[in-house]
Amino acid sequence: MTALAPVYGIVVRDVIRAFRQKGRLVGGLARSFMWLLLVGTGYNAIARVEGVSSYQEFVYPGLVVMAMLFGAMLTAISTVYDREFGMLRLMLASPAGASAILAGRAIAATIIGILQGGVLLVCLPMFFSVTASQLVNAVAALALGAAASSALGLLVAAPLRSVENFASVINVVLFPLFFLSGALYPTGRMPAGLRHVAQVNPVSHAVDLMRAALGQPAEFGATHSVLVLIAMTVSCFFLTMLIFDPEHRFTLRDRPAGR
Amino acid sequence: MSSKESAGPPAIDAVGLGRDFGETRALDALDLLVPAGAMVGLLGPNGAGKTTAMLVLATLLRPSRGGARVFGYDITRARTAVRNHLGLVFQEASVDGLLTVEENLLFAARLVGVGNQSARQAAADAMERVGLTERRSQPARHLSTGWRRLIDLARATLHRPALLVLDEPTVGLDPEHRDRAWRLLETERRERGTTVLFSTHYLAEAEGCDRVVLLARGRVVASDTPAALKATLGDEVVEVEGPDAHRLLPVMRDLVDVRLAIRTERGCRVGIVGSRDGLTKLASLAPKLVRLTVRPATLDDVYFAMTQASHAEPSASDRVGEPV
Repeated sequence: MTALAPVYGIVVRDVIRAFRQKGRLVGGLARSFMWLLLVGTGYNAIARVEGVSSYQEFVYPGLVVMAMLFGAMLTAISTVYDREFGMLRLMLASPAGASAILAGRAIAATIIGILQGGVLLVCLPMFFSVTASQLVNAVAALALGAAASSALGLLVAAPLRSVENFASVINVVLFPLFFLSGALYPTGRMPAGLRHVAQVNPVSHAVDLMRAALGQPAEFGATHSVLVLIAMTVSCFFLTMLIFDPEHRFTLRDRPAGR
Repeated sequence: MSSKESAGPPAIDAVGLGRDFGETRALDALDLLVPAGAMVGLLGPNGAGKTTAMLVLATLLRPSRGGARVFGYDITRARTAVRNHLGLVFQEASVDGLLTVEENLLFAARLVGVGNQSARQAAADAMERVGLTERRSQPARHLSTGWRRLIDLARATLHRPALLVLDEPTVGLDPEHRDRAWRLLETERRERGTTVLFSTHYLAEAEGCDRVVLLARGRVVASDTPAALKATLGDEVVEVEGPDAHRLLPVMRDLVDVRLAIRTERGCRVGIVGSRDGLTKLASLAPKLVRLTVRPATLDDVYFAMTQASHAEPSASDRVGEPV
């Protein structure tokens, strides 16, 4: 018997599931590449960003974060699927406890986020010149961003009752987080109100850290962004533990059938 | 009770266990004593509180009142210890369709803390026990309901728990898969002395239990061995079918010793004690009688008698389920 076995089991299961859902995996990557090749090509002609040679070069770190963000958060939010289809109660009935379940899911989501963002990093030398040390820094930035995104995803999933809310979560949480992150356009050019929102948006710090890692001008500074992402990860995880209700499945949406 | 009862703490000792959902009293007050090694069937109509009772005993729901111990461990204060003793099968299958059979079992093994190498062995043994070895590499979503249910049972027994709590484990299974399921449970019980608490709507499955507990409206309305429960109805059961069959009850009382009578869809069911000879006169007294059958009592009879009686109002003299 080992205490880490449940966490390991949840990580292995989620990673296997991610690779078996090829449509979701490919779709997550296609989103970033479509933006780079279709939108980026068009914007190259009309957008000029200081410190980089083209809009595509500017947007690339943001697209790495986009792939990571969707991979990590959607995996974390899939807790609501498990709740709906009976796998969560199986986990909750185990001696592992809710904290091990949440930790396992957070680690799995982080790994999937890193893998999805990592594909874009691997492809980076095909489009732009990059040094080995920049790539190493970028992987570290990716890992931090993925951890924060996973913890945020868990927090979003904790109060969700059913999969019907899943699509609205993507529209109401994921897209605003991404569009207000400075991934697609510099936050400095945003209206003052939106700029303030962008400054407290954890995804802005993941993007900014990625820019810094890849040698682009950064707005917040690497140290500041690292601290924000760590704080975000820790606070979201512990907040999730506080609001996560193991009885949720049985008491809210539908009481046990055949009571 | 089973000869395998041990001298240690009982597998389950619940006193006044209850659970509310808002204003709904799903489980009113469950008193249940299950000795280690026993097989106990929990019967009752939908909404009687069976699932809620099992979820509370499995520490997945906190009780609203009362308390329970599983092998001496309090279900609210020592949840981890209780869970370490438990193998649980829910009413709906808990199988990940994207994983293979073996991956599902490895996942379950790791959840209960079994290390990697031991997990593989435990999963292989569990597949062997239910006949899933040949299907080990198949994605669970490609399997029939019966095989998916057997994955559930293999999962529940994988870590060889001392107590199995099974919520309608054979619902929707064909006779072959049902037989496989019961063979597994019998083997676990015989070879390892595993305690089994299960709910079912297939009352014949409860015939082999050490004890049958009948729930209605969140309360225990009867609890005894199947034989003793059947004996409460009398020596035999008379099934009377036809219009106004229940009006024959006063006549029957004069002819035979009636222990209990309940109204059914097609007439009435009467438990009798002693000689049945007087019943032959019934046919001549009631020309509209469609059928009159005398047979040994079954758990179905007990179920109808006890659960319907719990719904009957004391003032209604000839109401359905009212004891005569």
